[in-house]
Amino acid sequence: MSAVFDEVVKIVTEVVGEDFLLDEEITLGTSFNGDLGLESIEFVELSENLQEYYGERVNLVEFIAEKDLDGMMAITVGELVTYIESQLASV
Amino acid sequence: MPAITANGARFHVQKLEPPKEASPLFEAPLGKGALPPSDPLHGGTGRSPMPPSGGPSAPRRRAFGSPPTVVFVHGLVTDNLSSFYYTLAGPVVSAGARGILYDLRGHGKSERTPRGYTTVGGADDLCALLDALGVTEPVYLVGNSYGGLVAARTAITAPERVAGLVLVEANCAGSGASAWLENMLNTLTVAALSLEYEETGHRLKAAGQRKMAKMAMAADSLLNGTSIIDDLSAERPLDTWELSRIACPVLGVYGEQSELVGGAQDLVTYVPDCQVEILPGLAHTVLREATVPLRDLILSWMRSSARVTVGASEGVAA
Repeated sequence: MSAVFDEVVKIVTEVVGEDFLLDEEITLGTSFNGDLGLESIEFVELSENLQEYYGERVNLVEFIAEKDLDGMMAITVGELVTYIESQLASV
Repeated sequence: MPAITANGARFHVQKLEPPKEASPLFEAPLGKGALPPSDPLHGGTGRSPMPPSGGPSAPRRRAFGSPPTVVFVHGLVTDNLSSFYYTLAGPVVSAGARGILYDLRGHGKSERTPRGYTTVGGADDLCALLDALGVTEPVYLVGNSYGGLVAARTAITAPERVAGLVLVEANCAGSGASAWLENMLNTLTVAALSLEYEETGHRLKAAGQRKMAKMAMAADSLLNGTSIIDDLSAERPLDTWELSRIACPVLGVYGEQSELVGGAQDLVTYVPDCQVEILPGLAHTVLREATVPLRDLILSWMRSSARVTVGASEGVAA
């Protein structure tokens, strides 16, 4: 797995809490809503923490702007990792 | 997590800047002398009441030479800034505005203080946040549901800070608003009792329903651990004469099937500069169910509310 995936897992763990993740292994296919049960406000917190780490290049508001509500709720760790990697590569 | 301390509490705040390539939301800057010295954009108080539209004293509107600032004010208890984060904020900012989203006191990731949950307190919080963020220009307020009450209260208590008001599914004045407040109070009182005595949060957590458990526990803490229900009990809606004192442009958006649609008529009747839109087939969930039309209405209204129309005495047209 990539460094971006490892960082995303670390930040997700901070947001969700380690006690919840004891029974849950995060993979590229893990969905934020269905598998992790992330609250909407926690997804905002995730976005903020990612931007704090990666800078303005990573903007989840832009990332989710093109998705409808169902699409947003189904976002997976893999899609997020792909987005971040593309943003970092375009600098 | 970005946070600002203001008015004795820590607030979770998101500031969004428009992308450099965004199309300007407003017309190009006006020429010299286009705005009166009393206009807030020039540091004045801007307390001139807005006359009714039409004729030589047609409403003067403000134009901006820089991106306008839009503050999003969410609803009560289970709501937080994410409801705008996922819907209106991105498109409005992409269109060229600066966006400010924040979790109301006690909500989302903002501090849950024991007291301070009136709409007057909410207006004070909002102004204190703007001060802390260094925002001195008048801002557009977009309030959804209870957030509309906070936004309207701010337009009354601090008119110099409000360039325009968007009320989404909010009934602010008169008997309709009183009934709505009473209904909210009854609903939240029942919810508070249920959450406390049935230990809903812990039961959901034990069942592995993490998301619902967290929401239930947060609601329990807010409803049973703060003065919010007492404050709501003492809340009073705006009087209709207060509506008539709202000097800024107002856009009201309601669902045709909403219990609050009567608020639209009050706005039309009493607010001097007002546009109302009733969306067919919708009830209270306008923000979530009609995000795109709502976004288009707001952007269109902001563009038209910012275009300066001046009378002959002013001598300058946009």
